[in-house]
Amino acid sequence: MTKMTRLLLAATLGAAWVALQQPALAQIKIGAPLPLTGALAPEGLKQREGYDLWAEEVNKAGGIKVGNARQKVEFVYYDYQSGTPRAVQLTEKLISEDKVNFIFAPFGSGATKATSNVSEKYKIPNISSTGSSEQVYDQGFKYLFGTLNSNAVVSKALIAYLKGAAPTVKKVAIYSRNDLFPLALATSLDEAAKANGYTIVYFEKYPLNAADHSAALSDLRARGADWIYVTGYTDDLIRIRKQMVDLKVTAPVVTMLAGPAYPDFVDGLGDVANGVTSVTWWHPELRFKSSDIFANTENYVKLFQAKYNKLPDYAQASSSAAGIVLQMAIEKAGSIDPEKVRDVLASTEFDTFYGPIKFGPTGQNVTADNPIFQIQDKKIVITAPEGVKRGTLQLLK
Amino acid sequence: MAEPSDGLRPRFLLWLSVRFMTLLLQNLVNGLLLGGLYVCIAIGFSLIWGVLNIINLLHGSIIVLGSYIAYYAFTMFGISPFLAPLFVIPMMFAFGYGLQLAVLNRVVDKPVLITLTLTFGLDLILNNFMLAAFTANFRRVVFKDPFETLDLYGVIIPVDRVVAMALALVLTLAFYLLLNSSRIGRAIVAVRNDRDAAVLMGVNVKQIYAVTFGVGAAFAGAAGCLLSVVFPISPMSSGLYLGKAFVICVLGGLGSIGGALIGGLALGVIESMGVMLAGPEHSVLTGFLVLLAVLAIKPTGLAGKRGYE
Repeated sequence: MTKMTRLLLAATLGAAWVALQQPALAQIKIGAPLPLTGALAPEGLKQREGYDLWAEEVNKAGGIKVGNARQKVEFVYYDYQSGTPRAVQLTEKLISEDKVNFIFAPFGSGATKATSNVSEKYKIPNISSTGSSEQVYDQGFKYLFGTLNSNAVVSKALIAYLKGAAPTVKKVAIYSRNDLFPLALATSLDEAAKANGYTIVYFEKYPLNAADHSAALSDLRARGADWIYVTGYTDDLIRIRKQMVDLKVTAPVVTMLAGPAYPDFVDGLGDVANGVTSVTWWHPELRFKSSDIFANTENYVKLFQAKYNKLPDYAQASSSAAGIVLQMAIEKAGSIDPEKVRDVLASTEFDTFYGPIKFGPTGQNVTADNPIFQIQDKKIVITAPEGVKRGTLQLLK
Repeated sequence: MAEPSDGLRPRFLLWLSVRFMTLLLQNLVNGLLLGGLYVCIAIGFSLIWGVLNIINLLHGSIIVLGSYIAYYAFTMFGISPFLAPLFVIPMMFAFGYGLQLAVLNRVVDKPVLITLTLTFGLDLILNNFMLAAFTANFRRVVFKDPFETLDLYGVIIPVDRVVAMALALVLTLAFYLLLNSSRIGRAIVAVRNDRDAAVLMGVNVKQIYAVTFGVGAAFAGAAGCLLSVVFPISPMSSGLYLGKAFVICVLGGLGSIGGALIGGLALGVIESMGVMLAGPEHSVLTGFLVLLAVLAIKPTGLAGKRGYE
């Protein structure tokens, strides 16, 4: 045994001993496997920010009201290093070894779907704050819930908006990352566009880890589309947007999902980001009054800024909202019994700072009205829906 | 999942259209521009593999490190990434030279699996160090006055890529001259061709190994500088670059500059044409299928010499 391992062992034993000395408090334990390192690290950190803010506010108020007592909330985080199989193992470990009461799903649709099998097996409610694909929720599971509404709702909202705001648009080119969530977005847009009389002139998928898109974009340019719709994650979209400009690939409307809502998109692209339209699930300028501990959207944004010194985006807000619905469900059920909490989650409409949340028969949030925005002068300008509108859509050509 | 069908023009109709020739030319240009960068990615990898018989898994991370140095030199001091190789090359040479002398020379005579494991471990360290220092967020060099794009009869040519490719080829030429006309270059070639004979001629082999690894690392760093202009920078890209370097070396053949040159340009064009013929979804697959075919017909690679397969 080397000196180093001996030291480590001593430190671990010491930490374990200290932990054992603490009096056992009745805490509500929530397990959350997160991608804290690796490709998805920026997303994982955002989820944790959302969870931590909620937990801090709850514990400040004495905890969650369970019957006549109050129980504090404790998160058990593990880093799954952006690898889905590891997220599944850790979910199993959280439930069977750490004995958590509830699970908050890992980042994104793919990993959420993978871990939902485990939580279903143990009958532990599993709330996802970042999985929006219908394919995650179509497994007939009873314990899986998602706060983001579905890709189909997003696509329909976008089409309905563009029909009015850009009536000249007829030909659509779709370029999608070949991955569960981006491809689901692309396919749902393809279906919604066809149903509304648009022509799809290009629909291609690019592989994960594609660095160069010049060949595909040259082909796309030759199709003369007047709406270019690209799906992927922030890094893909930054690459593609840059190469579109290099190769002079443009159209009156250029839509990218899902990345422009994050500040990283504009930071990474500068002026080149201008003109891109997108849809999001939530925005700090929305205004909802609620019966949760945050009271309204404005106050949530204020608390978030005070803690993290930046504005929240939908990922953090949706993560906090996952905590909120769990809290409201526990308080209504008057118990932390997984089955009772599950039944309340499935049957209640929640008024939250994030907006109304109602889980449909599949467990996914069914409320609609996603904000649509365009990047103008390196800023996000909401162009729909009417109530939160801050500007109008500018056509690019 | 539903496949898009109606409303899509079938691919063969595109073949018949007038725009086909322009598109073909465009893809050829795209492929060559990409290929020029690929050459630069692969050349240092090929050198280290050919001379030291080390498959340097650290290569991709050194490229990314070069990109970061170029990025910070640009954002903090306003130095163009195209000039960054002037200081990145000596820095990375020193890094590679020191690494070989201090670490790799201890195991260089051991079976290839040992050196493979060692460079794998070193790569984990360097890559995670960059993740911790720079985070996984993508960064991009944003010029105040962006480069123009040329439009030649419908064929679009981005100037930044042309400059990057030209510099990549200049570096390759410089490398060729180094190997063929300098004393140290001849010594490297001598060690590559026959190590024992080189020792008998008075060549200090350990020293040459260190120089070779240093030169290889210097090239990786220089490639990183050029790539920083074209692609966003993140530690996560290292595996991508390493994979390309590997394919190019096998495709072009080890042991010569010509191998990396032909392999790099060929892979760029094959991937670009692959997108046009089979769709972007299958472009990477197309590259690997061609690689398999080449290996089946000519196991030494397109321009490889016998004895280096």
